[in-house]
Amino acid sequence: MSHGDIALGLILLGLSAYLLFGGADFGAGLWHLISRRRSEKEIIEHAMGPLWEANHVWLIFVMVMTWTAFPPVFAEVMSTHWVPLSLAALGIVARGSTFVFAKAVPDRGWYAWTFGISSVLTPYCLGAVAATIATGGSSWVGLAGVYGGVLTTTLCAYLAAVYLIWDALRLGDQTHSLRFRGYALMSGVASGVLALPGAAALGVHSPLILLSAAAGLVSLALLVRRSYLAVRATAALAVVAVLWGAAGMAGFDLDSAVAHDAVLEMVFMALGAGALILVPSMIWLYVLFQRGPGEPSRTA
Amino acid sequence: MSTVALLTDAAQGAATPADFMAARQQMAFTLGFHIILASIGIGLPAITLLAEWRSLRTGDPVYAELARRWMKAAGVLFAVGAVSGTVLSFEMGTLWPGFMDKYGQVFGAAFALEGIAFFIEAIFMGIYLYGWDRLSPRAHFVTGIPVVIAGLLSASFVVTVNSWMNQPRGFRLVDGEVTDVDPLAAMFNPATPVQAVHLILASLMVCGFVVASVYAVALLRDRRAGRVDRYHRLGFAIPFSLGAACAPLQVLVGDWAARFVEGNQPIKFAAMEGIEHTEAGVPFRFAVFEIPNLLSLLTKYDAHATLRGLDAFPADQHPPAEVVKTSFEIMIAIGMALLALAAWWALAWWLRRRGTGRNGELSPRRDLPWKPWFLRLAALAGVGASIAMLAGWTTTEVGRQPWIVYGVMRTEEAVNPSPGLRFGLYVVLVVYTVLAIATISVLRRMRRRPPAGPGTPAPEPVTAGSPR
Repeated sequence: MSHGDIALGLILLGLSAYLLFGGADFGAGLWHLISRRRSEKEIIEHAMGPLWEANHVWLIFVMVMTWTAFPPVFAEVMSTHWVPLSLAALGIVARGSTFVFAKAVPDRGWYAWTFGISSVLTPYCLGAVAATIATGGSSWVGLAGVYGGVLTTTLCAYLAAVYLIWDALRLGDQTHSLRFRGYALMSGVASGVLALPGAAALGVHSPLILLSAAAGLVSLALLVRRSYLAVRATAALAVVAVLWGAAGMAGFDLDSAVAHDAVLEMVFMALGAGALILVPSMIWLYVLFQRGPGEPSRTA
Repeated sequence: MSTVALLTDAAQGAATPADFMAARQQMAFTLGFHIILASIGIGLPAITLLAEWRSLRTGDPVYAELARRWMKAAGVLFAVGAVSGTVLSFEMGTLWPGFMDKYGQVFGAAFALEGIAFFIEAIFMGIYLYGWDRLSPRAHFVTGIPVVIAGLLSASFVVTVNSWMNQPRGFRLVDGEVTDVDPLAAMFNPATPVQAVHLILASLMVCGFVVASVYAVALLRDRRAGRVDRYHRLGFAIPFSLGAACAPLQVLVGDWAARFVEGNQPIKFAAMEGIEHTEAGVPFRFAVFEIPNLLSLLTKYDAHATLRGLDAFPADQHPPAEVVKTSFEIMIAIGMALLALAAWWALAWWLRRRGTGRNGELSPRRDLPWKPWFLRLAALAGVGASIAMLAGWTTTEVGRQPWIVYGVMRTEEAVNPSPGLRFGLYVVLVVYTVLAIATISVLRRMRRRPPAGPGTPAPEPVTAGSPR
């Protein structure tokens, strides 16, 4: 394990976290846009949770790690794909601010609209760039780019629906949890139909495809059987396996691009120290959020 | 040139002058936007905690109400600041790939630390917002402390990158290749202490005066209506005192900063002070005034000291001197005006303390300056402090031109060579303008809303039964 390998592992970990947490946020935005029922929208807004825009921290982490560990790779990717990436960034701006605005001032329709549309724009653009890089294409408006964008958006929608089932249940809402289950089944099937033939057409020969397909099928079965907690894990696995498969295809010359050991050692140390503070406080935040208001903590 | 051609034609080479300017303007604009937001994001939790602490100590509901409202505003501003910061990470690569390609690893560790600090800030912000009625009052107060500390830390880490651009350290160039990288030396370069202190004081001033200016407007309205609203008065006094306390310190730190620049970036200094020719006993020139020998005295403690002028350096290394000098003068003028306003406030405070000592009665002449003229000036102080902050950034950034890394890399070597960058600028300008208007209008709406009952959590959750 060289320093570069560890850095690459951390970057992939960060991307996975962004896909699983941030991606679910984007997907929830998509359902928010599609959904016609006020009560559904309320559950989505509530489920967005305490880390409303803090999930972008994973994306920032990925970018910082990339430009620190593999500076030339970062420069090449960002400058070549500056158009879709700038659009993704603007989508993040529009989405993050309108979500908060709509909370503060609920009677403005265009906030909700902007929130929904930008929730689709950002994952589409990021997925398009990822697919273009993975297939060695040159432009995000090519076939691979469009495919990657649509697939990523679908995956986000699927993840969000799977998570929302449980959130609705937690709020004691049977009807809505069933409705989100329907959404999850629909988007799950759509993801499978998109991912598998697409992988075959693009010539992906990675065992990860089989893993993703298996996890996806198990997830559908679990959904039908209403094992809502287990499905969160299998659905997440199905989605990140797609990302890992795409990462395995990208042909970067990382060895010549890797930064000096002194730099990476310091970054690893900083991350280790940071994790000591971050992990417990994050757990605390989630525990706090799962607990309803008006139940003061006895343990703090 | 059609858009499709732009998107597909990734011609490598040099950027056109128009695109190069657009990239610089886009960076300046988005960075300026983020700096103002982040400044308020650093200071607002601090004054929120101050109000909360007073409410814990005194049980005064007015303090609790102030804390609750500021907390909500801090939540909104934090989210907008988080996304505008994310955009900056993108722009590092989409606008300046040449810079990142070569030097990304040198200052990368500072950004990693900044990211960690920001993450901690985000999590505790979430705990603080959601814990309002889920934690005991004391525990809730304590969860706010990491928000303030992490905010100050992340600002300090990120400013080390800018100070590194002014004083590059911690690497060697061998045949144009970066070797011997020492991330700690890069972070703790000579410019870091002075820039970090100068920036943090400036951001506390921006926050204090901006929040106070909102309450100054409300107090002026109160006066016209013949009311005295204690909530508005306290809402003014807390942030204004924070800004007023920082103002004199900032003058001292600014003096330190100017002397540092004279020693380490003499070209920038010459541009700031408008020194055309190297001379002895340099006068202090400000707008149309000129005070003989003062600049030499201020800078070197010697009225006859020699200061280097622009003519001491090759012409291709001169920054746009007019821009640098004008922005520097704007910053100084506003800083002095804020100092005068702070002195007025402090004097009134002192007289009031003396005045109440005699018979407990407070004569109106001895009260704090709730006079219309003071309030009008205070209402302008928020905008003024923000302009001063941006003028200071303009001074240091434009003053470093033509270099992106002082003396090592030119800005035009760093820019993305792809065509069409200027279209990106236009889109960014539109989106950010809408964002700014929306942010202000949301904050205004939040202000107009009648004070809610106690214990309304910041983002209202739906009331849909209890968790199972």
